[in-house]
Amino acid sequence: MKNRTPSLVIGGLLLVIFLFLLFAFQVRTTEVAVVTTFGSLSGAPRTEPGLYLRLPYPIQNVYKFDKRLQNFERKYEQSYTRDKKSPILSVFVAWRIADAETFLKRFNGDLARAESSLENVVRDAKNSVIGRHDFSELIAPDPALVKFDQIENEMKTAMAETTLKTYGIQIELVGIKQLGLPEALTAKVFDRMKTERERQVKKLTAEGTAEAVRIRSEAELKRDTTLAEARRQALVLRGEAEAKATEYYKVLNQDESLARFLISLNGLEATLKDRTTLILDEKTAPLNLLRGDTASPATR
Amino acid sequence: MADALPPTGNLKPGRPTVSSEDASSQALSEALGSSLLFIRILGALLLGAFLFSCVFTVNPNEVAVVLRFGKPVGEGREILKTNGLHFALPYPVDEIVRIGVGDSKVARANNAWYFVDEASEAAGNTAAPNVGQLNPASEGHVITADGNILHVRASMRYRITDPIAYAFRFSSASNIIENSLNNAIQWASVRYKADDIITGNVVGFRDSIRLRVSEMIERTGLGVTIENLDVERSAPGFVKEYFDAVIAAGQDRNKRINEAKGEFDRITREAEGEAKRVVSQGESAADQLVQAIAAEAKFFQDQLATYRQNPGLYRDRLRVEALTRILTNAPDKFFLPSRADGDRRELRINLNREPVTPKKAEPGR
Repeated sequence: MKNRTPSLVIGGLLLVIFLFLLFAFQVRTTEVAVVTTFGSLSGAPRTEPGLYLRLPYPIQNVYKFDKRLQNFERKYEQSYTRDKKSPILSVFVAWRIADAETFLKRFNGDLARAESSLENVVRDAKNSVIGRHDFSELIAPDPALVKFDQIENEMKTAMAETTLKTYGIQIELVGIKQLGLPEALTAKVFDRMKTERERQVKKLTAEGTAEAVRIRSEAELKRDTTLAEARRQALVLRGEAEAKATEYYKVLNQDESLARFLISLNGLEATLKDRTTLILDEKTAPLNLLRGDTASPATR
Repeated sequence: MADALPPTGNLKPGRPTVSSEDASSQALSEALGSSLLFIRILGALLLGAFLFSCVFTVNPNEVAVVLRFGKPVGEGREILKTNGLHFALPYPVDEIVRIGVGDSKVARANNAWYFVDEASEAAGNTAAPNVGQLNPASEGHVITADGNILHVRASMRYRITDPIAYAFRFSSASNIIENSLNNAIQWASVRYKADDIITGNVVGFRDSIRLRVSEMIERTGLGVTIENLDVERSAPGFVKEYFDAVIAAGQDRNKRINEAKGEFDRITREAEGEAKRVVSQGESAADQLVQAIAAEAKFFQDQLATYRQNPGLYRDRLRVEALTRILTNAPDKFFLPSRADGDRRELRINLNREPVTPKKAEPGR
């Protein structure tokens, strides 16, 4: 008996595991489970993670779904705006299973079938929403006029109405992934882009020239103003000096004839200071000495 | 064992005999013994494996979450097991989910970029195709606010900051991040003009993309933080030379303006120098004037008494002294005596003007 104890323990453990697999199931934190009994729904979906009891197959069936946010992308295709423009768009959708029972009934748990149905809903929503807006609400020079977010929200609302009720799918996020123009239109856009760039080149060249001229003119004006101010200051200084000199002129008033003589003499000497050609005759002192004349020149 | 068997006279001596029933019992007993031994060894191995499976390590660049019957063990931040040794019950009771958080992850958004094969990309040969029309399927693009077409792609480095949200809320968080980045490129492009995207406001455009992605990450609760965003822009190959011409014209414009500004600085600097010189000269002249008058006044005062003694002689003396100085300095002196007959002499002078020295040209004019 003593020798059989380990075998019994192991056998017992295996039995427990077998029964566990038969009568219990786990729901992961990322899952939601729906239990059916003979094909009919049995109780509310198990949304909380943990261990649940069940009856063995074929009495009860357990369907588990990934309740995490799924990513779905619609292919890149043309839509028409209200003003008959035809941009090409693709959108992506982040969705999750919100009603597992409805999801099970609708798709029998097949994710591929769900995405196929979702594709139609996304296309309808995208086309209907784009059709309600002008192209200028997607793209505009003034960002205030762009309704990019509004258009995405409208798409989300349009999808959510159908998907939650009909498929048990909650749409969490809708975004425009690509936005372009049809191939034929790109050629016309290129022509316009070329013309715009050529115009810009001319404008930039003219701007550069005009601005440079303006700056140079401003510089010359500033130079003239600065120099004029400097000359004015110099004149003021001269005036102040003349005012000071007046005091000294009073001294000269003591003998006007001497003062005039001295001033004239200084002026004469200053005038004939450099590179002067002099032509003198014998009447000019001291050259009068050349004729032996000793009389004062003042008397002549 | 032979002692237990009954003796038999018919058999050859030395050769024991057993009945068939005893032999089978013995074989069964031996087989059972062997099986039990095997089961014991197996049990011991299973026990060892069981104990061993209860221990796991978490590396420094990852965190782990223990799911017990599918439910995270712990509350709040305690759910996350960081690096070190941890214990968990064996599968299927506990499940260990490892989430790499150490290394940054990279999301690339190439939907608005043209096709470049890996070899060309590696060689750096990524010039936009020079075609007159863009096939949207292979030559992705954006439409800018002014209705132009450009190619834009982005590469974003991010780090997982909320591993639970990242791993348990999204079936493929990286795909949603990539789509959000593509969305952000389109969202920002329709708000900026082509020239701003290419050169005018590159930083603003990149920041707009980053802002939009951050907002979407926040909105969806992806649990990641952006570390770095790199945005690449290109004009379509067919119109690239025109964009280049605009860039060149812009550079030329700036060059002209900068040159003019440089000249402005030079002219004003020179004018200020000249102005200082003029003022300084004015000051000097004023000083000289005052000093000269003062000197004259002093000289006058000193000479007045002498002059009054004999004004004529005084004047002659000073005049002759002055003329002597003038004659000494004058390079050309002509003595022209009067004619003997007392008539006037006719004197013809050929005046040659000095040649005009050309002014120096002002630099930059």
